[in-house]
Amino acid sequence: MTDAGTVLEARNLTKSFGGSTVLHGVNLAVGRNQIVGIVGENGAGKSTLFNIISGIIAPDSGSIFLNGQEIKPRNYRQAMLLGISRVFQEQALVPNIPVYENVLLSHEDRFDGWGGLVAKQRMVDAASRIVAAVGLDIDVRRPTNEYDFSIRQAIEVARACLVPQEILGIAFPIVLLDEPTSALHKTEEEAFFRLIRRVREHGSLLFVSHRLTEVLAVSDMIYVLKDGHLVALVDPRQTSESTLHGLMVGRARDADYYHESEQRRPDAARVVLAVKNLCRADEYDDVSLDLHAGEVLGVGGLLESGKSHFGKGAAGVLAPDSGTVELAGSAPGAPDIRRLVRDGLGYVPAERQLEGMIPPFSIAWNASLASGGDLFSDALGLWRNGEETASARRWIGELRIRADGPRVPCSSLSGGNQQKVVLAKWLCRDPKVLILDNPTRGVDAGAKEEIYRLIRQLTDRGVGILLITDELMELIGLSHRIAVMRDGGLSTILDAPPHAKPTERTLIALMLGLDNGGDGLAATVGAEPLAPLVH
Amino acid sequence: MPIIVVLGLIAFFSLGSEAFLTLRNMTAISGQASVLLVACLGATLIVLMGSIDLSVGAMVLLVGSVTVLAINQFDLGLSAILVGVLIGTALGLANGLIYTYGVIPSFVVTLGTMSVYTGLAWELLQGRALRFDSLVFEDMAIGQAIPYFPNIALWALGAWIVMAFVCFKTRLGRYMFIIGGGEAVARTSGIPVKRYKVYAFALCGCTSGLAGALAVARLGAAGPTLGTDLLLNTLAAIVVGGTSLSGGIGGVHRTMIGVLIIALLDNGLNLMDVNQYTQMIIKGAVVIAAVLVGQDRGKTTVMK
Repeated sequence: MTDAGTVLEARNLTKSFGGSTVLHGVNLAVGRNQIVGIVGENGAGKSTLFNIISGIIAPDSGSIFLNGQEIKPRNYRQAMLLGISRVFQEQALVPNIPVYENVLLSHEDRFDGWGGLVAKQRMVDAASRIVAAVGLDIDVRRPTNEYDFSIRQAIEVARACLVPQEILGIAFPIVLLDEPTSALHKTEEEAFFRLIRRVREHGSLLFVSHRLTEVLAVSDMIYVLKDGHLVALVDPRQTSESTLHGLMVGRARDADYYHESEQRRPDAARVVLAVKNLCRADEYDDVSLDLHAGEVLGVGGLLESGKSHFGKGAAGVLAPDSGTVELAGSAPGAPDIRRLVRDGLGYVPAERQLEGMIPPFSIAWNASLASGGDLFSDALGLWRNGEETASARRWIGELRIRADGPRVPCSSLSGGNQQKVVLAKWLCRDPKVLILDNPTRGVDAGAKEEIYRLIRQLTDRGVGILLITDELMELIGLSHRIAVMRDGGLSTILDAPPHAKPTERTLIALMLGLDNGGDGLAATVGAEPLAPLVH
Repeated sequence: MPIIVVLGLIAFFSLGSEAFLTLRNMTAISGQASVLLVACLGATLIVLMGSIDLSVGAMVLLVGSVTVLAINQFDLGLSAILVGVLIGTALGLANGLIYTYGVIPSFVVTLGTMSVYTGLAWELLQGRALRFDSLVFEDMAIGQAIPYFPNIALWALGAWIVMAFVCFKTRLGRYMFIIGGGEAVARTSGIPVKRYKVYAFALCGCTSGLAGALAVARLGAAGPTLGTDLLLNTLAAIVVGGTSLSGGIGGVHRTMIGVLIIALLDNGLNLMDVNQYTQMIIKGAVVIAAVLVGQDRGKTTVMK
């Protein structure tokens, strides 16, 4: 691998945390002007690898070479000064300061003017140059939070890619991108890819993503990590998504990934959740729908379509201004999460770490979160510790949560296993209805498959599932019917029986509000045609 | 680790003062520590819940004053303690209701009520110390049913055991951990967060009320300075004991160690003739040092 074109090389990197080894002698080389993809399930060691390269943690053994010289950055700032910058999984911009201050954050010392004052105009000029170079047409003096998510994402990428060159005088920066698209919508992804291709002309990129299609589309080569080992280096031009998936999980992807063949007809006579005229100012307006027993009702829409807020409203987490929700067997009323939970509803939020679970708490404590009022305490208010532990044990087994028992803190679990704990919190209550908001976000492919199977099993038992998701394939594959939301309103409900699923193209057209079906789409989304459904 | 600090302090003060390691002084310490321990019990739950109660000392003062007035007026005897507990609970309930339904940070609410309760108490006392004359009531604190072990310490131990049980074996206790660990998670899980916050503040008022009644029983009077040292001492004992101010971590059982450390420091420094001002400096430094040593800074990235 080592040749004159190699700019970054990692040799034999090994790292363990408290007894478990997360990286086993990983070797990796990045060539000049290359985009290198890194794929692997959660817990495969991708983040650890990035953390080592960007100086956030030190390896136990092994070394990193930059342009042939060994480097040992002790923190991110040192790595950055050497020319390695990173776009983190969560956005790292300060929301309420001007864009130019964000772009040049921590480099203000290079703009010292008279008497130690920062030379504002020079900063503004430099920042304008940087954002213009990635094709952004924005006023860098405006507060950062005035721009929407995808623009902020582009600002971060611009900062990571161009600040080393423009400000620090580094000829050839290395940029690490950690799941940069997980919160971007399909249409915004295209712009994002144009952006990183442009960056490739000035440097090299390392790119981690769960979305295999986009890794295949954008990378020059792809490393596959599995359980801390580098298992393959593949050429994207000669690889398909399912091969890649097979390498990651160590088995081939099921042909029927979403278990569409197991999709049974729901019980149309039994409505388990009736939502009527739900409104909340500026978020969603007059949404009504019926969810049947044994049905997956998918809810799709662009990021700002209001679908997530609608989910929160229907679950009674964020009270709507008006409208009612009726859960089978109880009276209709303004939704209130406490009452709905008692009556048999469960809500899995999109923000797992902030709203779904308390990471430092144990599996048992997290899995009992929703049942403190009935299952796990008695009439006197005494906690039933024995039942709590037994229930956690049972669900660790049933959902195959990989952990050494109910007392393990959830922070030590991978994203997929954490999500299973959140699901266990509701499943132990034997719910009638589940509202799931992006249940597989940040979840590795293996756990995703298990969650899909679980959804089928639940509907077989008559549970109704409202599935809000940004992943089109998931929306199409799992749903019996698909509700499309646009600008806070419910625009259509489509049938999606196993053998006549709507296409991605149709759905995107509906989400964007194009009347002529998919025909006008290519022009709207960009020059490149959409990828075919299944590889 | 905190136990080592307790043993270290005992060793240090034994060397520093002959009077320290005597039966008589140990009796004195257990008496002093008792009021602090009781006052800390409910406040620990509040801190565990991620909130703060600055009005504990003021509640002790107000309840103490009212209790003395009530005893002098009605000759209540032992039931005076019940009066104290009820008034304390009402004061705590007021804190809780303003906090949750006014949607005002607990820091601000209790900073305000601290001033209100203190002012009310001073109105009642008119700047003087009020004495009472009730041997039964006094005996409840300074009598020794067990030789060399004042009754007030029995009360405190009993209350500590009850509250540790509440903390770890009841729904209320568990919800304190959950709300402190992640309020948004508690809400999306259908936990009645507001109601339990009110319960917690009422319970904190209840233990503060008990502490107030016990304090005047021990001192034989209620004076304007009653409870003033509790503002620093309760928070110090809770934090030094190992309950995190960010919520969700700790527990009532740990507060015992914190109370012992603070009480030993107070007593030992007095015996060594360290003056009041120097004592304040040392105590403040100890609180900061304890948190510095105790917390896992690797995991803390943002501190407000």
